[in-house]
Amino acid sequence: MKSKSIVVVLAVFLAIAFTSISALAITKTATIRVDGMKCSKCTGSVEKALKATPGVEKVEMSLDRKEAVIEYDDAKVTEAKLREVINGTGFKAVEEKSGSQ
Amino acid sequence: MNKKIFFTLLFLFVPIVTLGQELRPAQLTVKDIHGRNIRLSDYRGKVVLVNFWATWCPPCRKEIPDLIRLQREYRSRGLQVIGVTYPPQKLAEVRRFVRRAKVNYPVGLGTKEMKLLFTQSESLPMTIVISRNGTIQDIIEGILLPEEIEQRIKPLLN
Repeated sequence: MKSKSIVVVLAVFLAIAFTSISALAITKTATIRVDGMKCSKCTGSVEKALKATPGVEKVEMSLDRKEAVIEYDDAKVTEAKLREVINGTGFKAVEEKSGSQ
Repeated sequence: MNKKIFFTLLFLFVPIVTLGQELRPAQLTVKDIHGRNIRLSDYRGKVVLVNFWATWCPPCRKEIPDLIRLQREYRSRGLQVIGVTYPPQKLAEVRRFVRRAKVNYPVGLGTKEMKLLFTQSESLPMTIVISRNGTIQDIIEGILLPEEIEQRIKPLLN
């Protein structure tokens, strides 16, 4: 009887812990202005590199607004890392006009 | 009799068409920036990376040091990089860039027709991977990512 109670308590504890951990992984959206994005032929590289980054869920590039809108799991990747990835493609992630939600 | 000719032609023709769809033999002749001919057929037996690029394309410029390093490190294992500028650019501009970047592989000036030999995609940069037997092995659109070099190029050099 006692061991059964322990198992139940343990199961409840694990369920709560698992839910809390999952809840911590929130999808965030970062809008990053990308300097130097002028030609449609070469913007694909930014999208490709971002999509290959673990934690990135969705990428939308806008050549008109010269920005990348990125949905990402902030438990797996940071906005600073996303900027680093963009800079690694030869473009420049502009610091001041960015933002996260 | 006619039937016999038809089936004979079908037998001969189908494998050629199939081969053409899956493993196109890569043909390319381009003048390099010094006026010499670069012929892809001269590199049969090597793994060739035909890299389409432009001096004004940031990702193209960014990946050139990686291509220089690949050429240096894997030349002895049969790798040959060939740079082809596309869309057409001024020769003087390309020469200046190549000299400053210390590019260690041949670079030629490309045309749209030349690019269409490989793909209709307009992405830049674009790297065509040619196998040792001269057929198109792979087409990598956009900047070469480290994992693509590891998984799609290096295994061909073993």
